[in-house]
Amino acid sequence: MEKENKKINIPEAPKRSIGITKYQIKKNVKQVLTMIARYALLISVSYIVLYPLFALIAYTPMSRTDILDPSVIWFSKHPTTGNLVAAWGALDYLNGLSRTLLVGIVSAIIEVFTCAIAAYGFARFEFKGKNLLFALVLLTAIVPVQILAIPLYLNFRYLDFFGLTKLIGGAFFDNPDFVIDLTETPFTFWLPSLFGVGLRSGLFIFIYRQFFVGLPKELEEASWIDGAGPLKTFFKVVIPSSGVVFLTVTIFSIIWHWNEYHLSVLYFNNKHPLAVALSGVVSYFTQSGINYETAQGAISAACLLFIAPVLIMYMFMQRKFIQSVDRVGIVG
Amino acid sequence: MDATLKEPKKVKAPKKKRIRGIESKKSMYGRMFILPWCIGMLLFFIIPLFQSLIYSFSTVWVEPGLMETELSGLENYKFILNEDPNYTNNLWSAIQSFFRNMPIIIIVSLILAIVLNQKYPGRMIFRSVFFVPVIVATGVVMELLTKNLNGVDAIITLTTETENVYSEGTGGMDFTVVLQSLNFPEEITKTMSGLITNIFNTLWSCGIPIILFLAGLQTIPEQLYEASTVEGATKWEEFWYITLPMLSQTLLLVIIFTMIDLLTQNTNPVIQQAYTLMSAQSVYDQSAAMLWLFFGIIGLGVGIVIFLYTKILLKKWN
Repeated sequence: MEKENKKINIPEAPKRSIGITKYQIKKNVKQVLTMIARYALLISVSYIVLYPLFALIAYTPMSRTDILDPSVIWFSKHPTTGNLVAAWGALDYLNGLSRTLLVGIVSAIIEVFTCAIAAYGFARFEFKGKNLLFALVLLTAIVPVQILAIPLYLNFRYLDFFGLTKLIGGAFFDNPDFVIDLTETPFTFWLPSLFGVGLRSGLFIFIYRQFFVGLPKELEEASWIDGAGPLKTFFKVVIPSSGVVFLTVTIFSIIWHWNEYHLSVLYFNNKHPLAVALSGVVSYFTQSGINYETAQGAISAACLLFIAPVLIMYMFMQRKFIQSVDRVGIVG
Repeated sequence: MDATLKEPKKVKAPKKKRIRGIESKKSMYGRMFILPWCIGMLLFFIIPLFQSLIYSFSTVWVEPGLMETELSGLENYKFILNEDPNYTNNLWSAIQSFFRNMPIIIIVSLILAIVLNQKYPGRMIFRSVFFVPVIVATGVVMELLTKNLNGVDAIITLTTETENVYSEGTGGMDFTVVLQSLNFPEEITKTMSGLITNIFNTLWSCGIPIILFLAGLQTIPEQLYEASTVEGATKWEEFWYITLPMLSQTLLLVIIFTMIDLLTQNTNPVIQQAYTLMSAQSVYDQSAAMLWLFFGIIGLGVGIVIFLYTKILLKKWN
């Protein structure tokens, strides 16, 4: 659209024509129409896109009278905090939040770095079998987590990689049936993340790799010539110049860890993170006559409490995030 | 080192000898960088993947402390296809909705990304708004919002039936009725009303594809458009001859991403069935077979799409 502006402004500048020519009218009308159409499209789509959020915010303070009152659509006439209090209790909010932070956010931060390291190996070095291994990266991105869920769960429940645990158990504890049970611990997420195969790691490695390939080589070569090793080069030269891609991946990773449900529900029975607690909130409300104003209001409040931390994080970071997306050029 | 040995003709002979030491060192460093990932992939991906494949071909029972398996051939697959009353229906509807939603999501997000990429006041606000459903309308929250659970009415109603009820009550417009009265064939009516009720779901799934497309659009050099304007190309031609070919890699990424996103949604009936079987009845063999069959079919379909895409379109564009 910028180009159109320029085209119109150029003939206007000399002010040679006295009246407005037909051509200009046509151009201006067209411009105004496209602008109206664009804003109409964007505003209506924004409404649909934000609708769930509006609904959550609208339902949270609704009391019983509001739900029955047909004149109440968005704004509660008798707002109450009962729903919020009930949802807070149902989610066991502070405990759930701390678990989610401990499990999800720590895992996300680990993943952000380990994926970058693996991706750097793929982007900058040549070695035998690289293409095959990178195809495997894409495969890890494509295979849905559900298909791996049960074997992963069993592996963590009876941790025994290559019979090593039994060997150690037999040798040191005189107990051949010795097993390590990692379920209910954050290691279920930390360990895969530490090895760069955590939640959606394949996609992250792909994004990082595309970015690193597009990074100018000169800085790294200079660092090599100055005698820095590859690791030092990576940490001192590559990471500082990849802030934008790190930000993008961090936000994606945090959001997906926050919403992670399929694995958490298997790994955590008692000490479950917020997403699992949220999934059980409806049966909690309907079974045990907990004091809440309205079921819909209480569920909305629970959802709102669940997304609030991520939403606040996004509000603070969105400007940088959107700008960084502009510059990452995820597919170089 | 191997890489240099394989293509010796491209590099000049004396130069090759000089850099050989560095190259081998570099390839060692490369392996060092991906070594942790290799171990992790073996432990947390390859082994579980084969385990689950084996489960699908065997009878699995749980003994205290361990899981026992015995190969049983195609028994599980035969059972879920012939004897399970719901599986084939679930499978069919899941596959249908997958192949129906995928192109819609990709086209809609491409259009929205192009609109968002233009320059006008307030575009940053719209851009950040379009990412919000990635946070809000995903996973568990979405399930709670759109489903009637335990007798509690859904907060957002999307299904066709309830919309019909509402429109009858309030005298609003019902698209199905309108289309039927226009004497459209029923097939078209169904698809159209499906599309309209689906628009919410589609737009909520567009958050990340839009972000990916936006990132891709940023990489297209402005000069290409300037040159085409000088040559007198229309916007339509610009889209087909510049924007789309320049987005070819992004498009592949979006296809892959949308695929994972659609497959792992909680609303997928096959996944729901398999998960209930797993968690409620501890049946691991049949549930594994259910998932493998579903993902196998989808994988095959998408594999063909990607193959044709890279063989025909990418070649044409590059």
